[in-house]
Amino acid sequence: MEPNAKIQIRKPLTWGEFDPHRRQNAHVGMWAWIWQRISAIAIIFLLGLHIALTYKPVIQFLLLMTVIFHAALGIRVILLDFNLVNVKYRNLLIAGLLGLGLFVFILIWTSIYS
Amino acid sequence: MNISKHHPLHTRTIKIFRYDPCVNGEGHFDRFETEIADETKTTILDVLIRIQKEQDPSLSFRYACRVNMCGSCGMVINGREGLACKTNVADLPKDKEITLRPLNHFPVVKDLVVDMDPFFKKYEASMPYFDPTEDLTEPAIIRPDSKERRIIGLATECIQCGCCVSSCTMVNYHDSYAGPAALNRAFTLLADSRDGLYDLRMNQVLQSCYHCRTEFNCTEVCPKEISPTRAIKHIQRLALKKYARGKRQGPLERTEGAIQAIQTDLPCGRSGASEFPESPERRRFLKQATFGIGAVSTLALGAVLGTAAIGPSIKKTPKRWIHLKSMEALAVGKVSTVVMTYDVQNGFHKSRVSKPVMIVRQLDINNIVVFNTTCTHLGCTVHWDENKKLYVCACHGGMFDQEGNVSAGPPPRPLDRYAFKVEDGHLFVEVV
Repeated sequence: MEPNAKIQIRKPLTWGEFDPHRRQNAHVGMWAWIWQRISAIAIIFLLGLHIALTYKPVIQFLLLMTVIFHAALGIRVILLDFNLVNVKYRNLLIAGLLGLGLFVFILIWTSIYS
Repeated sequence: MNISKHHPLHTRTIKIFRYDPCVNGEGHFDRFETEIADETKTTILDVLIRIQKEQDPSLSFRYACRVNMCGSCGMVINGREGLACKTNVADLPKDKEITLRPLNHFPVVKDLVVDMDPFFKKYEASMPYFDPTEDLTEPAIIRPDSKERRIIGLATECIQCGCCVSSCTMVNYHDSYAGPAALNRAFTLLADSRDGLYDLRMNQVLQSCYHCRTEFNCTEVCPKEISPTRAIKHIQRLALKKYARGKRQGPLERTEGAIQAIQTDLPCGRSGASEFPESPERRRFLKQATFGIGAVSTLALGAVLGTAAIGPSIKKTPKRWIHLKSMEALAVGKVSTVVMTYDVQNGFHKSRVSKPVMIVRQLDINNIVVFNTTCTHLGCTVHWDENKKLYVCACHGGMFDQEGNVSAGPPPRPLDRYAFKVEDGHLFVEVV
């Protein structure tokens, strides 16, 4: 059969295009990745502020929080990269390491200000 | 029917993406309503077949086995990739609209049917065939509990449905990215010690592995519960091991003859070069850009941190004028001892210095001398002895005359003098 010359194939749909449920159904691993990148940029700014305005509790709080958040997600990727943790625990790791991070944060914060 | 007695009929709205290749355009959603007797026993594929039979015969979708084995009916169901035949209506939020849409990253042929050609091109480029190192006539015996078999695990179960490629956000941005399915297939062969194409295959796929951002989208959606992310990580580790081995033993032996022999053995006249080419200019540029940006930011950050850390220590303290006393309080022709107090910033440490100075005042304002009381010998404090008319150091018997010159004892040089000025009848000395 002769191919129909009039038929035109639509260009590929991109991620999220014509997809009303995509965002709320996006997977937690993807958010972990995006937020780690965002926190990386935030750290640069907060570090600058921290140097400019030393010992301001608000900046110390934000910087420590962001660094621990970033580190927790980074440690997760390292653990998975080197197969130190089975990939089936990938989502559990996010909660676990962020929880651990919060604990470390409280520990550091109370040791400075108490 | 009796079913409806136990399961009251339920109307669900199904929104389906429509694209007509004869009309072209961006495509749109059509709404269909259908009654579903038992949602736990109705798959999305059943719903589609029913809509096609009862409401719109022009609705296009692809399916074959209907039992989750062929991978034909992959599509995006409510924002998540899945097989229509594996997804039950009951798995989706109750009483809400169901949205069906073709897979991402594939050209849409019609409605839910996509062109899988790019997928299979990339799949083929990952060399998905087994080429043994030694030709055995007997079937190989592989114990299910062997380490290698356990590592490869379920990764061989891939049915090429394309769900992983559709879910991967990185496929969007890197045309040269082989995608999760192709890399998963390459992993199953790379991890197999009987594979004879290790080097070639590694060369084909390794570049792609670095496009993975460990988002696990592919793992989440895989209908066969394979983790392509795990496969990609494994290939990266294999490459790392190979690199470490190369460092220890020198580069892997790859004679021209051996490459020729492999290449003549390959189907489709494949060459050893990567099928996912990244132009060398681009790679060089990225390398330089990475190093450049890295160097600049390291320098910038280093400079800021370095200055903050050691700046105060090397900073020269500016000279300052310290107020001593009003001129009237100083007796003419006598030596007065005054204690001056000022703050000194030393690195991060700030301290207060109290130090006596001796002032010799004559009537002429220009004829004033301000002596440092520190003995030039070993730093003890010198005092004025009115009887001897000498400055005496109690420690080692150093003595200085009225001009501050050494008259006895061990001091090597005369007493130090401060620079001074008189402003509005007040005496100031300069300190560092």
